[in-house]
Amino acid sequence: MSARNHAQWTAAPKLKAGEWVDSRIYSDQAIFEEELQKIWKRSWIPVCHESELKNAYDFRTMTIAREPVIVVRGNDMKVRAFLNVCPHRGNMIERRPSGSFKRGTPSGTPKHMTCMFHAWQFDMKGRCAYISRCEEGYQKRLRKEDVGLRKLNCEVYFGGFVWVCLDDDIDMTVEQWAAGALDVLSPSLNAEPLEIFHYHKAIIPCNYKLWHDTNCEFYHDYLHYHNRITGFNDAYFARKNSGFKNGHINVGSFEVQYDQYEGFESREALSFPHLPPNHWYMIDMFPGVNFNLRGSALRCDLMTPLAADKVMIEFRGLGLASDTPQQRRTRIDHHNSIWGPFGRNLHEDLLAVTAQGACMHQAAENRRILHGRHENQTIHDENGMRHYYEEWGRWLNRLPSDPDRAFADGAGGRAAVARDAERELALEEA
Amino acid sequence: MSWKTACAAADVPAHSIKACEVDGVEILVANVGDGFRAYPPVCPHMEEYLEDSGICSNGVLTCTKHLWQWDMKTGEARPPAEKPLLLYEVKQEDGKVMVYLDKELEYAFDHDDDDDGDD
Repeated sequence: MSARNHAQWTAAPKLKAGEWVDSRIYSDQAIFEEELQKIWKRSWIPVCHESELKNAYDFRTMTIAREPVIVVRGNDMKVRAFLNVCPHRGNMIERRPSGSFKRGTPSGTPKHMTCMFHAWQFDMKGRCAYISRCEEGYQKRLRKEDVGLRKLNCEVYFGGFVWVCLDDDIDMTVEQWAAGALDVLSPSLNAEPLEIFHYHKAIIPCNYKLWHDTNCEFYHDYLHYHNRITGFNDAYFARKNSGFKNGHINVGSFEVQYDQYEGFESREALSFPHLPPNHWYMIDMFPGVNFNLRGSALRCDLMTPLAADKVMIEFRGLGLASDTPQQRRTRIDHHNSIWGPFGRNLHEDLLAVTAQGACMHQAAENRRILHGRHENQTIHDENGMRHYYEEWGRWLNRLPSDPDRAFADGAGGRAAVARDAERELALEEA
Repeated sequence: MSWKTACAAADVPAHSIKACEVDGVEILVANVGDGFRAYPPVCPHMEEYLEDSGICSNGVLTCTKHLWQWDMKTGEARPPAEKPLLLYEVKQEDGKVMVYLDKELEYAFDHDDDDDGDD
């Protein structure tokens, strides 16, 4: 067949169900809003690393599904998370991205979070410690004990990442949520404390799932010129994508011949604990998180979806807290030589998804996006994406290839399903 | 412990306050016009550093965070303050403000590291 006319172009592909998706899932703002409510507000999200809040009273702010979140370290060194929202008039309490509450702010006293609007103050456990002119205004009708912050599920897990979930009713720990997907890297990340050495963020005009897709397949090796001309071998292609419950996947490892990359050296000396020298594991977690350990340097991507066609990606680089200054410099070089602005591939990946975003904006005609490669589940297979979209379909109860139709199983997230069932029962009884 | 030099008398102008460190203990020295006083460095309400937040006027020290006030000479609380200032013993010798440091004076704060089971 030659080039196709409109009807041919928009016809369903000759692939099986689950092997392609409708590009509307990457551009429809209504679907996007539903994703925030049904997926992002119900998932465990690794919002930062504990080394970003080293000392008592350090804090870090972020958003999950547009909800402002603050993570603080108490004087007992425990990390806790709260909605960064004042219970009085709904203002954002802390505006800085990070800092310390050890000394006071212009309107607040030391060791407390203070809403700048009316100086209500909260301690590191989220308890209200001060209401200005409380008795004058509320007499005895409202006491500070009544107006604590909204506490969020928070766990420090997997090498010190701080995980937060907005859903009080989530019925699993982070470990259960990961469902084994993190196991390949747990020994390496949990052996000794890690420390962040790199942070940057990029706001990319594309849907967040397009970035996740690039992390879930290596077929796009063709994008990476330097990858193609050096460093490939049979073991590279033999790696497998494995699916786990809850939509996670990981990519098996092999020994990278870094000394065969042009201008590179072996990473054996600085490879993470328990990791066979120069090995490379990658984990892609639902709904938009990536852990990538290349021998000596760990990268974590966290996606924060901003709109159907806009995503903020935060890139963190981590090494061992015990690094000497020389080791740290080398580790940073290793990190940047792959993922830095002049590295081998990060910028190429960003270019690719930006161009996809340009073709799948909100007004674009629907496309058929093919996820149908089968290559024995190796890295050029697209089983990782198929696994992801099956989970996505279940949570939203939408068919990825035809999002107005219900997903075959008709199931949302497991906790949500149980709650929906309870709600229906309650309605029936009423 | 014993009498220690906090600062030169000339370092604290009349009707003003100045934070000093004496043997690792932070104190707040006040010149009350006809003599000196020394208090712990923070407000007894919510630990604000009074050197940053305090205003001296008419013999009254006011913490500008939540407007607690004290008589600078006696440390006595004035509304809306609910707790007085603690005072170190002070004397003036050879142009120096001397403080008697037996032990550090501290206010009891409702810290959030208390074991209230609220995790």
